[in-house]
Amino acid sequence: MRDLDVRLFGALRPHGPNPTLTLRVDDDVTVAAVRAALAERLAGDDARALLAASAFATDERVLDDGEPLPDVRELSALPPVCGG
Amino acid sequence: MADVRVHAAVEEGALSVDAALAHCAAPEHGAAAVFVGRVRNLNDGRAVTAVSYDVHPVLCARTFEAMAAEALARWGDDLRAWLVHRHGRLAVGEASVVVAVSSGHREAAFAALRYLVEEMKKRAPVWKQEHYVDGDSAWLPGHTLVADA
Repeated sequence: MRDLDVRLFGALRPHGPNPTLTLRVDDDVTVAAVRAALAERLAGDDARALLAASAFATDERVLDDGEPLPDVRELSALPPVCGG
Repeated sequence: MADVRVHAAVEEGALSVDAALAHCAAPEHGAAAVFVGRVRNLNDGRAVTAVSYDVHPVLCARTFEAMAAEALARWGDDLRAWLVHRHGRLAVGEASVVVAVSSGHREAAFAALRYLVEEMKKRAPVWKQEHYVDGDSAWLPGHTLVADA
């Protein structure tokens, strides 16, 4: 097991108790399992619906749900984007 | 090593079109095109006073660099590109993003600029929270990010 910090961005921020949440996850967990663990920590159906449409990323790249969690201490949860 | 042809950044302060055009210049470049995105005072019938931009700065700069590399591969590796997005709360009329491209001829400059602006809307990790005259505020919907290949 290890600790994983997840930074919330955009519309996800108000749904967490803090801008960064720390999850306790298995070493061989997938990104999809991180998503499920984060859903347990967010309050309300709106937050979980937004999380379902969100992506997870390292500082380097956006991750696929099916891939193993990279060897990082922190991930970012990114809701749908709208720059410009 | 940084690509001197590309400038990609997220900034807290006012954006500079002059800086963009100074970067997007070369003796062999006969064309420079620039796009400035500004905060609009109306959206979906609601009067807007300001927009707060949330940004993942590191991933945003990397995404901009990847997009610029794609543009150079497609429209010529002699292009110069500038992509800078604001972070923080902006009043109506302030520039939220400046994108510029220079090239030998206008066709490549126009095409690459359009590509970068459209890709930025879909891929840059940026979020907008609009603030309205009535004191309410709302995060805007957007595009779900797709995993990098």
